[in-house]
Order: sequence, then C-alpha cells, then structure tokens
Amino acid sequence: MRMLAVFRKGERLRHIGHLDIMRAMQRALRRSGVPVAYSNGFNPHILLTFASALSVGASGERELMDVTLSREMTPEDFVATMNRALPPEMQLVSARALDDRHPALMAMVQAADYRITLLNAQAAESCRAALPGFLAREEILAERKTKSGVKEVNIRPWIFELSMEGGTLHAVLALSETENCKPDMLVTALCADAGCEKPRFGVTRLGLLGRGADGQLAALETL
Amino acid sequence: MTVSNEKIEALLEQVQKAPRYTGGEMNTVVKPWDEVALHYGFCFPDTYEVGMSHLGMKILYGLVNREPDSVCERFFMPWTDMMELMRQEDVPLFSMESRRALCDFDMIGFTLQYEMSYSNILAMMELGRVTLLSRDRRREEPIVVAGGPCAFNPEPLADFIDAFMIGDGEEVTLEVTATIRDWKKSGAPRMDCLKTLAKIKGVYVPALYDVTYNPDGTLAAMTPNCPEAPAKVEKCIVTDLDSAYYPEEIPVPYTEIVHDRIMLEIMRGCTRGCRFCQAGMLYRPVRERSLKRLVQLALALEKSTGYEEMSLSSLSSGDYTCLADLIRQLMKDLQQERVSISLPSLRLDSVLKESLEETQKVRKTSLTFAPEAGTQRLRDVINKGVTEEDLMEKVSDAFQGGWSSVKLYFMIGLPTETYEDLDGMVELARKVVACYFAVPKGVRAKGLRVTVSASSFVPKPVTPFQWEPQDTRETLQQKQAYLREKFKGVKGVTFNYHESGLSFLEACFARGDRRLGGVLLRAHELGCMLDGWTELFKLDAWLQAFADCGLDPAFYANRRREKDELLPWDFIDSGIVKPFLWREWEKALAAETTRDCRQGCNGCGIQRYKGVCSYADAGRVSQG
Repeated sequence: MRMLAVFRKGERLRHIGHLDIMRAMQRALRRSGVPVAYSNGFNPHILLTFASALSVGASGERELMDVTLSREMTPEDFVATMNRALPPEMQLVSARALDDRHPALMAMVQAADYRITLLNAQAAESCRAALPGFLAREEILAERKTKSGVKEVNIRPWIFELSMEGGTLHAVLALSETENCKPDMLVTALCADAGCEKPRFGVTRLGLLGRGADGQLAALETL
Repeated sequence: MTVSNEKIEALLEQVQKAPRYTGGEMNTVVKPWDEVALHYGFCFPDTYEVGMSHLGMKILYGLVNREPDSVCERFFMPWTDMMELMRQEDVPLFSMESRRALCDFDMIGFTLQYEMSYSNILAMMELGRVTLLSRDRRREEPIVVAGGPCAFNPEPLADFIDAFMIGDGEEVTLEVTATIRDWKKSGAPRMDCLKTLAKIKGVYVPALYDVTYNPDGTLAAMTPNCPEAPAKVEKCIVTDLDSAYYPEEIPVPYTEIVHDRIMLEIMRGCTRGCRFCQAGMLYRPVRERSLKRLVQLALALEKSTGYEEMSLSSLSSGDYTCLADLIRQLMKDLQQERVSISLPSLRLDSVLKESLEETQKVRKTSLTFAPEAGTQRLRDVINKGVTEEDLMEKVSDAFQGGWSSVKLYFMIGLPTETYEDLDGMVELARKVVACYFAVPKGVRAKGLRVTVSASSFVPKPVTPFQWEPQDTRETLQQKQAYLREKFKGVKGVTFNYHESGLSFLEACFARGDRRLGGVLLRAHELGCMLDGWTELFKLDAWLQAFADCGLDPAFYANRRREKDELLPWDFIDSGIVKPFLWREWEKALAAETTRDCRQGCNGCGIQRYKGVCSYADAGRVSQG
C-alpha cells in the first residue's frame, strides 16, 4: 500500500541537504519496523519519494513523502511507529493511505507556501513600504540560474500571494518543473524595488500546494 | 552558558558543510542540564566526519550517558572557516547537543588517536575558553583528561592535561567521572581532585611527578612528588569483553562521515607481533567477544540505527576464532533486514566466499593488501608474516573474482632498509600487474588499477623499534624520489607517498618528553592546527617552534636510544616488558621472525594476566 506522510524538517535541520534527509528517512523507516517495500532488481532500495526537494537553509513544516509498504497498516499506527524512530526535529505530523493509482506527488506540486523572515529591521521596513508598488507591477524580472547560464524571467505571474507583517513575508509562489520562483528570487527583486541591501533571511516552507478539481490551489496532502 | 542559537545560526549560513555543527542526530542524548551532577564534554580533536567514525567515542558516549546523574556531550574540531568566524564573532566552542560552551563542563576528555592532532587539542581548548596550561586552571574550570593509544606516551601533553587514562577506557572512565562529581560537590581545591584521581588504577596525573634531565638532554629521572602518585602507572585492562559495556544505540549522522556504518568490535588485541605496530602491543592481550554476544549486539544495533551496512572491527579480524561461524550467523540473521556485511579480508574458506557472493552485495571496489616491505628479508625484520606467495595467491584470487583494483601499502625507512628493499616494492607491484594479465581477458574485470602507497616509518613507544632512529627527512625524500622514478616505468601503477615533514613531526611527538609541551604551545601560537590535513600543515612554523624553545627535533626523531636510556614512557606499565622488546629488536636485526602467540607464548609480559591472555600457557613459555 502507498502511504502519504507529512513531516517536519525542523529549524535545527535546515542545513541538512535533500539527499541526507532522504537517507535519514530511509534509515528511520528501517529502524521503525514498519513493513517497507523494496524495489526489485539487483540493487533493491526502499520505495520512497519526496514530493519536492527542500533546499539547504530552509526548514519545512509540512513536507510530503510517499512510501510503499508491503503490508496494510493504519495511518495512525504508521505515524506513531515512525515517530518513535525519528529524531525530534523530523517528526511526522500526519499520514493517509493513498490509492495505488494516485498520481506521483512530485507531478502534482504547483506551488509552495513560504514564511520568509527578513533579519534586518531597516530592510524589512523598506520592503514593507515598497510592497504595494511591487505587487502592482506587471513584470518583475529576476535572474534564474539554469544549466546553460543565467536567464532573466518574469516572476510576477508566479507570485500567487504576497503579504507582509512586521519583518515576515508570507508568500505563495509557483513551484513546478517549469515555473519555479525561489524565495531568494523574490527577496532579491523586492529589495531591489525597495532600494535596500538584501538582508539575511530565514525561510520556512509551510506547505506544498496542488490544484484541486476546481482549479484552486489547495494543500497537496488533501488532494 | 548556552551559546546563543541566533549567533550560531548566523555563522552556519556562512560556512561550508554546516551539518558538521548542527547536531540533533538520531540516538544522541540531551538531558536537562541542571538535573545531572556531572557534565562530560567528549572532545575528538579532528573534524566531525573523522570523529563520528570513531568507535571509542561511541562506546564512551553511551557509557557515560547510561549513568542517570551524568551527561556526555560531543565536541569536534571546527574547520578553519568556522574557526575564523567563531573567533570573529566571539562564539566559544559549543557542544553538539545542548550548545553549551566547553568551559561549562565539569570534565572534558580528549581522545588521542594520532600525534598530529595535538595542536587541535590546544585550539579546541582555547576556543572553548579553557585555560591551556594545567597549572594555571582555576577551581571552577573543567578537569581535563585524555586517553587513547597516544596516552601511552603522555609526556608531550603533560603541561595541558590534568589526568591521563591509560589503557581500556570502559571501566576507568566511570571511576573518574564519579571522583570528579564528588569533588565538585566537596568544594575542595583542585589539587585534591587530582590526587584522588592518581590513586585510581590506570590514571596518570603529570603534575604529581618531577622530571630531571641529563646534560645530554636525555631523561635522568621521573619521580612522584606525593604519596598518592604511583611510581608505575599500570594500564587498565577489560578482562571480559562480553560483560564490558558496548553501546546498543549509536548516533546516526545526517551527513556522510568516513565510516558510515555499524562497527562491531569482534575482538581487541592482536597476536601477530608485527614489530613496527604499536597497536599490536598496546592492546594485548587478545580478547574476543563471544559469537552469541556479537549476534545480539548486531541485531540491537541494526534495530536502533537503521544502518544498511555493518563492518567487523578489530586489528586482525581474520584471526577471530569462529569467524566463519560468525559471518554465517550474521548473514542468516541480518539478511532479512537487508544489512550487508563488509568483510575484512579474503582469509575465508571458499564455500563461505561463494555463499557471500550470492547473498551479499559484494562491492568490488578495491582490495587492500599491506605487505609493508618489498623483500622477504625486510618483512622478516618487521615480523610481518606475509610471504610473496601468500600475496600473489590472494591477488590472483581477487583478479579471478572480478576485482580489478588493488591497493598495496608499504613503509619506507624501516630499520635496516636498503635500496634493494625499495626495488623489491617495485618488483612486487610489477608481479601484481603481471598477475592481472595472466587472468584471461574474458574472466578479468576491465580497468586494472594498482595503487602503491608508501608511508614513512615512524618508530613508536612500546614497540621493538622504540630505540630506533627515524630516517632523516632528506633520506626519506631521496627514497621517495627514487621510487617515484622507478614506478614511472611500471604501467598500471600509481605511486603515492606521504609528506615527509609530517612523519618527522609525528616521530618527534610519538617519543617526545615533557619539554615538547613548550613546542606545542609555541606552534599553537604560530597558528598550527589541523596538521593532519596536508593543505594546512605548516612545517616551517613547527620548526620555528622547536627553535624558539631551544630544542632540536632531530634529538627526538633521528637519534638512536641506548639500551639503558630511561625513556619518557618507561613509567607506564603497558603489560609489555622492556626485555621482550629488546629481544625482539635483536631478532629483528638478525631478520629472525617470532611466532604468533597462538602457536606459543613468546613471553611479552602480558602472560602475567592469567585467564585474560588466552595464550599465556600456549607452547613453552620462554622467560621474559
């Protein structure tokens, strides 16, 4: 059976890279005793995928994984069993059984919900002042690094929601294979508008979003 | 003082490999600070990746944390980028668990695995705000202890360490922590604590000994200056490994480390008696863990870590009495858990080898052989019981079995070595190459790679070569150049060698005396640290430190000691007696070999631990 689980990547783990988190999760699955399924073939591996890689430096509140089990198990049992095997900073929040035909999570991700904290009060104030003008623009150019070099892209259509309270930005940004607005691109562009130096900032990904039958963005784990 | 998280986080954003410093790994222990009586900061004087691969740390970490009133937290040597930032931002060295400063702990312990990590000890103490010199430390500062193989010649560190623990750490550690805990409560002066520690078997407190020197610079006398200090410090020996503590939960790092797997210590000690090998002497007598206990530990460790790989650890795993049975049993029990077992050597019967290949992921990466010397004569001198025939048979086996990559380890500068012996290395490598081409094309794997590594011999205390001079740097460099030229003509062979300056300093500190404390301190002031990392090693600064202290490094590295010279480590009773070592040295000069203890006792001295040394009565006991 397939199990979708929501987990945290805590503040203390934000410097741990995607592959290391994957490996830590695989080891947790192994030591938890949940009946994990392995791939066939010469080099069997645990059938585990993450909906989206979370970059180094960011923490995550509701990260998603999809794991295949060799036996049925209730989501409640799964969460309880796994949490005994996971370190405090990487606990599961919830889980749900997935139909075998459920699409791959990775293909469903359309956007992500971020909390971005600017760690410089002055810069935050300038950004707050510049925000209405920033949002009113039709084109916001940002640099995107690709394999073939640096390209300029218009990220305005990729900003679905953006608001600010104190030094904290709340942003829903496009995240898919073709449209991907990274928090750093947003902060760079906003600071350019505000005419301030880009401050240090912390990123927490609050959740991943997909599109429901109605075309509206919704938490991916509910779709 | 808890170091501010905010400050640490700001630094972590600017360094390479931040996961070295973040902690929070599975199976690490955090206890409420004020609820425990004793706080032990375990310090590994090298980077996280190296330190986390060390079995001894895992044993002691688990051992201390099992005590309800004690906590053990880890410290590692930060890399230069982090070090600079910490100094700039005034952030002290902080623990991996609760991010407390090193100076907040009641006791800090360094493990001494390698002489060239000594500069890191000073760097870590300074960064952790602990007074460097033992005699200057205030009452409230941590008691600084150290142990590990290099503690068998503790003298170069005598100025900085309050107490050394000599020998196996499993039992003595808890005696030491209890003593420090009680002393902390008592309010008595620091010296009281040190004197109480000195009464524990295996503990050496340098401050309680006076040292005098002869006009020629050799040691004249080393005498206890108080009744608590024993004239001889006897090493600690765990008599029964089965009942000794072994962790069933070990920290599992997020980031990749050098040895990222379960390490199962199957036995301690070695009976082979290679004359250059310090570990082979220090860890005597040989003690094995029972098959039953090992299987139980293996299963428990697999369950608590989720590791997918396990290796058997010891000085010579092929010598474990029931190795084949153990592997069969482990394979049977761990197959379901899909744990692969990495095996030490090819010293296995062929049936077992076959079943291994069937069931295990045998990664045919690279096989390592250590003939150590190029000719049979020199191998006899060092008592390395490997013949060319043995080696060729194994290499041939490996090539037939699908391996194509072989590493050969040699030493240069061994006692009595001539250029003939160097030619022998080249010859041996040539034969290995020929051996590969003798396997039919369809059978052998493609891409032959023979790597020859030549390290420079460093004479170590408590070995038959403890009196020997090391080759001078010039001689070593000439030999390296000679070999480099010779190997150019051998196709398929890559030749590596070690920085001779590093081996030279290692030789100084391995057999150094108390006066080297000054050199170490001066080198620290001159910025020496992380010397084991070639790109950071500053030979000139070290040489200047010697000069500034008025000491000649050649006195320590390149001088032949006389038979009756008082050696700086003679006050330590390692169990191995000097007459045995001298006799072994004489035999070495005559290229005479000594049998494996299993064939008969050679009278090294350890046979006096009856019931612990299994070979005390083997064969005829010759008198040491």
